[in-house]
Amino acid sequence: MAADMRDLVAELRERLAVVRQGGSESARRKHTDRGKLLARDRIDALLDPGSPFLELSPLAAYGMYGPASGEGDETDLNAVPSASIVTGIGRVAGRECVIVANDATVKGGTYYPITVKKHLRAQEVARANKLPCIYLVDSGGAFLPMQDEVFPDKEHFGRIFFNQANLSAEGIPQIAAVMGSCTAGGAYVPAMSDETVIVKDQGTIFLGGPPLVKAATGEVVTAEELGGGDVHARKSGVVDHLADDDAHALAIVRSIVETLPVARVVEPAETTEVEEPHEPAESLYDVVPADTRTPYDVREVIRRVVDGSRFHEFKRLYGETLVTGFAKIWGHPVGIVANNGILFSESALKGAHFIELCNQRRTPIVFLQNISGFMVGREYENNGIARDGAKLVTAVACSVVPKFTVVIGGSFGAGNYGMCGRAYDPRFLWMWPNARISVMGGEQAASVLATVRRDGLESRGETWSAEDEEAFRAPIRDQYEHQGSPYYSTARLWDDGIIDPADTRRVLGMGLAVAAHAPIPEPSYGIFRM
Amino acid sequence: MFDSLLIANRGEIALRVLRTARRMGIRTVAICTDLDAAAPHVRAADASVTVPSYLDIAAVVDAARRSGATAIHPGYGFLSERPELARAVEAAGLKLVGPSADVMEQMGRKDAARKIATAAGVPVVPSYPLDAAAEMSFPVLVKAAAGGGGKGMRIVRRAEDYTDAVAAARRESLTAFGDDTLLVEKYVESGRHIEVQVLADAHGHVVHLFERDCSTQRRHQKVLEEAPAPTITEETRRLVTASAVAMAAEVGYENAGTVEFLLDNATGEAYFLEMNTRLQVEHPVTELTVEVDGRPLDLVELQLLVAAGEPLPFGQDDVRQHGHAIEARVYAEDPFAGFLPQAGTATIVRWPVSSDQALTVRVDHALESGQVVSTSYDPMLGKVIAHGPDREAARRALVAALDRTAILGFATNTGFLRTLAASDEFRDVTIDTAWLDTAEIVEPGVDVARIIAAWTDVAVRAMTAGPPHPFLADGWRLGAPPAPELVALDQVVAVRRAHGTVSHPAGAVSHPAGAVRDAAGDHTVHQLLAEQHTVVLDIDGVRHWAVVDAERHQVEVVHEGQRHVFERPDVFGDHGPVAGDGTLLAPMPGTLLSVDVSPGDHVVEGQRLGVLEAMKMELALKAPFGGTVTSVGAATGDQVQLKQLLFEVSADD
Repeated sequence: MAADMRDLVAELRERLAVVRQGGSESARRKHTDRGKLLARDRIDALLDPGSPFLELSPLAAYGMYGPASGEGDETDLNAVPSASIVTGIGRVAGRECVIVANDATVKGGTYYPITVKKHLRAQEVARANKLPCIYLVDSGGAFLPMQDEVFPDKEHFGRIFFNQANLSAEGIPQIAAVMGSCTAGGAYVPAMSDETVIVKDQGTIFLGGPPLVKAATGEVVTAEELGGGDVHARKSGVVDHLADDDAHALAIVRSIVETLPVARVVEPAETTEVEEPHEPAESLYDVVPADTRTPYDVREVIRRVVDGSRFHEFKRLYGETLVTGFAKIWGHPVGIVANNGILFSESALKGAHFIELCNQRRTPIVFLQNISGFMVGREYENNGIARDGAKLVTAVACSVVPKFTVVIGGSFGAGNYGMCGRAYDPRFLWMWPNARISVMGGEQAASVLATVRRDGLESRGETWSAEDEEAFRAPIRDQYEHQGSPYYSTARLWDDGIIDPADTRRVLGMGLAVAAHAPIPEPSYGIFRM
Repeated sequence: MFDSLLIANRGEIALRVLRTARRMGIRTVAICTDLDAAAPHVRAADASVTVPSYLDIAAVVDAARRSGATAIHPGYGFLSERPELARAVEAAGLKLVGPSADVMEQMGRKDAARKIATAAGVPVVPSYPLDAAAEMSFPVLVKAAAGGGGKGMRIVRRAEDYTDAVAAARRESLTAFGDDTLLVEKYVESGRHIEVQVLADAHGHVVHLFERDCSTQRRHQKVLEEAPAPTITEETRRLVTASAVAMAAEVGYENAGTVEFLLDNATGEAYFLEMNTRLQVEHPVTELTVEVDGRPLDLVELQLLVAAGEPLPFGQDDVRQHGHAIEARVYAEDPFAGFLPQAGTATIVRWPVSSDQALTVRVDHALESGQVVSTSYDPMLGKVIAHGPDREAARRALVAALDRTAILGFATNTGFLRTLAASDEFRDVTIDTAWLDTAEIVEPGVDVARIIAAWTDVAVRAMTAGPPHPFLADGWRLGAPPAPELVALDQVVAVRRAHGTVSHPAGAVSHPAGAVRDAAGDHTVHQLLAEQHTVVLDIDGVRHWAVVDAERHQVEVVHEGQRHVFERPDVFGDHGPVAGDGTLLAPMPGTLLSVDVSPGDHVVEGQRLGVLEAMKMELALKAPFGGTVTSVGAATGDQVQLKQLLFEVSADD
């Protein structure tokens, strides 16, 4: 019943192709007719020629905003493509930078709740990996109908500027190019940046636009007079460089990056020669069953991801449901922790030991997550599987080395914690298109809830027909099916994107390359429950 | 035989002479000026002597004496046809490889040469006495008796222009040659230039080595030369070769010489033009097409034998023609910019070699990578000569050889030569000596070169990118085809290496990415070779060879001989400083010392509008651009505030 991996990848690529276009055709035409580049074209022009671009969560907001937010129609899964913001990492003037580009063709580049989350996530990536931030600003500010979910809370709009100030304080350059509107709170993006460019007769920066000014003071003023490029470059000093057009502005940004002090990179010990895996990446489609319930040997995945397909396995004969070992990815030494079945006490202990080893050696860890959970049952509980699970969770939580998680199958229950789910701060977390994520499986959830209900009914002497029970169970299964989808996850930024399994080695290599910019502190741990 | 030879020349001919001398076991001595101290001919020679000038006869003879050389080979050009040199060499007790001073002197004068020709029964162009304008049938050619190279020459088509033309030719002749004697001859409207190579020894033997055709000329400078002449009949061949031998015998010629004829296309008649008393630039086409006993001849070797007093080692009947050869002269000049001489560093130089495509190719040159070429000397860089069993084979071989010739660093005429050699006119031999002066040779197109430039730029970047890195140079995108690599040249070109395609956006684009997304017309590209600047690409099924130098500011490509330079756009240079809005505000509080303009005045950029005194400094306030003064905000002597408006200029449209 499960679709073939190739079909899942084709579906992913189709969905990505749609959001990559940005807003509607008419919105795009209107945008380009004004001599402006589209958001992704701006990024392409900003990047070094041929630079790869690791886009983050391109399917953010997928299926999230329909009639509920008063926008789009119910079937429109792409009401706000990419959450009206493009973020990612690419090379500019020879160094990796985080790029945040508003897409003005999507709702005027306004910030939906998930837009804010995506912007903040990009800044988090910049902080963790010490990457300069480049903001290509073209946004009308907060999406006003949803201001309660955008404006006031800790992780809302204001946090963007809080981050800018603190990133700058940490020596992480903040560079902005104002290439369109930059209104209200948004005005602080360029203002809070270290160095700012504006495009003449195109970029505007003001706290209150002409309509608001008129309402507030009666003053009638054009946008250009209020906060155009000339005003800010010559009079207000809000910007530092005046550009003639998009291409010029992007060239100035590149020039700014060239002036930044050289980044300290912790290069892998051996970079001269990077050996490709012995099997082509596409062969992953055949080794991994698309149905997460079908078991397979995760080593087949590992050998298609690591350099030269070489894997130094650790404790192969102990706790066999968790595979651990050392390898290299794009020349970077890594420790790999991969599920090969359900977690038992031994597997958890083995995992905790291995993670300590990686921290001791300052070796980044890659988690290949495919876990339905820890073993349950009297024997296991009585033997303290929770105690051993806690050791694994402690080791993961307190790890100081960069962690990378790829959900290559199921991500259920406490297994998600032990295998470095989103809450455990992996530098990046990616999902394969076959992945499933929820607190437990839909069938299990339906059973648990049905059992609770039946117990209640029976204690009152009532009976529950099989038909009634099925009618109770079906919507629960449906809900878990819907919410367990990787698209549901990625829309909400529970991950950094769904990837083609064939790209796993590449994105891990990118993650490792940028993680090498940040020093690794001394490891220390909380109490391991013995 | 001489044991030591001084070569009184430079460049390819010095190397050419040196090669033969070395093969014959003769020690070689080069001369050079300070400018040429490290030139190839100097490095190749066994010894070298610095002279103030290649034209300084005393210094050249002295150099021979000092270096122990017993003979001097003059090459061509420079002193090669100067009787003064011959005399000085003789006086010094040395031997000049060439004819005697007397013969040079006679042949150097057109009037004397004409007399000798007539005496030898050689047909000459019908001539007229200078004052017989009334009897002339126009057009006529007025030329300096002492001249050469087109100087002092005038074509006169109408009787009424004659007097002025004579006066002008006389003036020019006097200035150029110090002699104002003129000749007037029938002017052949359409002719071919045929010349016969002769060799004579000191024992009275004269042989000819058949003829050459040098009709592809530009302003009397030969561009392509070939042997045998493709258009003449056997009868004409017999006439010109016999005439040339008779001419040499008549004058008592010794050594190698060339007798030139003009073939009138209208009548088929051949007329003696002049005799050159030296080795010609184009002698290789004779060497490649003439053999004795099945062996090719070395004209320099024969020159040296004859000069050493030995008899010619073969007779006329031993000389056979064999196949066809064409020579192209490669010059440092830009044919598509008025043939302006070019100079600079030849950053990369590639000459064709015979092993390429099994061509029979000979290259005589003295230009290597990194060499500096100045305009001080003749702009000829080398000669590419192709040989084949017949003319068409030779012509194709020449085109292929020019395709494999690449000189980077400055413009050369190689692409022009290639186009010319490939032209229908040259193939069909419809060219006469005047053709190139009016024909339009179309500059080779830039499209293929641009594709090569862009592809190579990307390939080079990938090759030099260092160790593999996931953020390097393949345009990877998440779940999408790789982004093309954009190469900004005169146009933005999108290269997709992995797909093997190159897209040219239609028209000029300022916004690369946007234009490329909409670009149509992919070219499929398959890279066959890319190393050491040599690139071989299959573009849309056609194989192209090119030499590419991708630098930070430009990409230089030589393709089919033609050099294309693609400058990378400089975004900052293109935009320049922002001119501003024309408002001049007081940069400091102070006193306005003077106001130079009034509203309505027209001002030019940089013009002083007024002077402000502030903080003990006088500041000139200048117009930011040309335009009209629209307002003046203060008067002379006024105290002004910081940022007070002083002047406003509105730009010209």
